[in-house]
Amino acid sequence: MSNVLAIDTSTSKTSVALICDGKVIFNQSHTDPLAHGEVLPKLVSQVIALNNKIDLVAVGMGPGPFTGLRVGIAFAQSFALAAEIDWVGVCSLDAMAAGINKSEFILSTDARRKERFWARYKDGLRITEPAVSNASELEKFGIPVLNEGEYYPDPVALAKIAQSSKSVEQPIYIRKPDAYPLPIGVKFRPMTALDLVSATAIEKEVYAKAAWSAGQFKEEFAKAPKTAHYLAAEFEGQLIAYAGIFYVADVADIHTITVAADHRRKGIGRELLKRLIDWARVKKAQAIMLEMRLGNDQARPLYESFGFVEISRRENYYGPGLTAVVMRKELK
Amino acid sequence: MALVLGIETSCDETAVGIVDGRKLLANVISSSVEQHVRFGGVVPEVASRAHLEAMQQVIKQALKDAGVSIKDIDAIAVTAGPGLIGALLVGVSSASALSLALNKPLYGVNHLSAHIAVDQLDSDKKILPTIALLVSGGHSSILKVNNLAKDVEVMGATIDDAAGEAFDKIARIMGLGFPGGPIIDKQSKDGDLKYVNFPRGLTGASDLEKHKYDFSFSGLKTAVTRFIDQTPNYKKADVAASFQEAVVDVLLSKSLAACKESGIDHLVIAGGVAANSRLRQVAKQRCEINKINLSIPPIGLCTDNGAMVAALGSLAISQGVEPSQIGIGADSAASIAQVIW
Ligand SMILES: [Zn+2]
Repeated sequence: MSNVLAIDTSTSKTSVALICDGKVIFNQSHTDPLAHGEVLPKLVSQVIALNNKIDLVAVGMGPGPFTGLRVGIAFAQSFALAAEIDWVGVCSLDAMAAGINKSEFILSTDARRKERFWARYKDGLRITEPAVSNASELEKFGIPVLNEGEYYPDPVALAKIAQSSKSVEQPIYIRKPDAYPLPIGVKFRPMTALDLVSATAIEKEVYAKAAWSAGQFKEEFAKAPKTAHYLAAEFEGQLIAYAGIFYVADVADIHTITVAADHRRKGIGRELLKRLIDWARVKKAQAIMLEMRLGNDQARPLYESFGFVEISRRENYYGPGLTAVVMRKELK
Repeated sequence: MALVLGIETSCDETAVGIVDGRKLLANVISSSVEQHVRFGGVVPEVASRAHLEAMQQVIKQALKDAGVSIKDIDAIAVTAGPGLIGALLVGVSSASALSLALNKPLYGVNHLSAHIAVDQLDSDKKILPTIALLVSGGHSSILKVNNLAKDVEVMGATIDDAAGEAFDKIARIMGLGFPGGPIIDKQSKDGDLKYVNFPRGLTGASDLEKHKYDFSFSGLKTAVTRFIDQTPNYKKADVAASFQEAVVDVLLSKSLAACKESGIDHLVIAGGVAANSRLRQVAKQRCEINKINLSIPPIGLCTDNGAMVAALGSLAISQGVEPSQIGIGADSAASIAQVIW
């Protein structure tokens, strides 16, 4: 005798099923990527009205957008604790793959920021660990890519898998939290004329022909501190990054955020951006604008995470064929 | 008396408290603050992950400390807002699951009111109208509490930074670390609080018309920053003490004015900043002079905890407030007017 409550909140759908001795008693889902928290308790209360004797909770552990994913897992774990029963975690993609009659395929779900969570299946078995990639990467495998929208994790399959295979104990996040601890020893300070030799060297390395000259920097410095703000980051006494912002007529304009190649992906650009925004707030700017090279895939998510949105594009801005994306963030 | 289990996950503390009526039975807190130290502030996704990791253990420990079984619990209370949405949802989802599995009522409660409700624990205080000064990392408000379980009004709030945030920022500017509250409090003990007369925000004549009970700490922050920039060999303890004095002075002047104007002679100071030793000291002095009954919860219950959530749930039950509907979700920007969901 076993009654299994199955839950999945790893996609835009919240799905709940009740399976009693292999028979599906309840199977419902609701699509709303922002309402897992409201929908899940309502669906489960319908289940309990049908049968309040649950023996096992099965839950999809992702991959999936974090906030929704955690709703299902937190709910399943606490339900099991209160009912004094076990809970079992299952890879949500596996519950999506069940019932697909193709010898080889890739399953993918929406990971936001134009990326997909995915895994590859062959003869009914998952043959890769779940991963996150750009959508375009997935086409390169040359096998069918089946997407969320047409397919969703099936809670009935999830219940079946929970009773048969090894359980997944931790949420399948894949992505790290959007937080980058600063490498120990990075110092932030105002940028001065003494930095110009190092700064122009970094400029050349990063921007080649479009690099600023020492003269251009000097011109900008002259406006500080009243209408411009330039910051430097140094590590072991060496300049490794700098950033500048200019403020006129209610709108602040970010001129540059440049990190030397060896020091990228450490959160230095993020910290500089944060400090520039703080400065703009102190100046009581209404908005901040910036231009970014189209295709700069590292910078864009960073700006978006701070609330910048694309407002226009300027073709050939950085030279022939190089388009600038103009982004803007309102400061309340 | 009802056994109420309260869950709090609005920021970086995963906390569960259990009360029996007004009696505190358990108060377990697992904090992710150490993970945030390196970032100089709370990172929402880091906090949310930590909540999920800690939740089951914290519930079990609270039951153990209280010496009760989960089946004995009569009602579940949970912070439904305001707070970080991803963090709140871990608590609300867990609480909804407990409520459904146990078939016991659920009370979604307001985090700010809960900070005030904790003052009722282990006491026989009457539930009287009171003015509350609520000061923490996320909030600085003066509230008129007509009935803590039903009717709370905002008299004033910060128009920019919260008081606790100002402590964090000033601590960061002086290179003292995070979180700033306890660090500045400690530094100030050896400092001269009259060293610099920093501005008291929104206390000018015209401000008092428009923003009588509101706070602003951004001007103070700018003044401290400018002072530090212009004074290369400043003494950290003196700047800390002078900064803290400006915050304490403005918080209390406005709270006492609120008491006076509304004719209420009770003041409760709650929230994380209520743990500040200078605020407690000056509040005591000024309330004595003005014949105001001052109440500040024990320091351990001032910062975010589950006991305060359970306390407000318990109070709601005793006042005959209806439980929340199934599927309340979480409201990151909840207003104080919503005491119980
Ligand atoms: Zn709080």
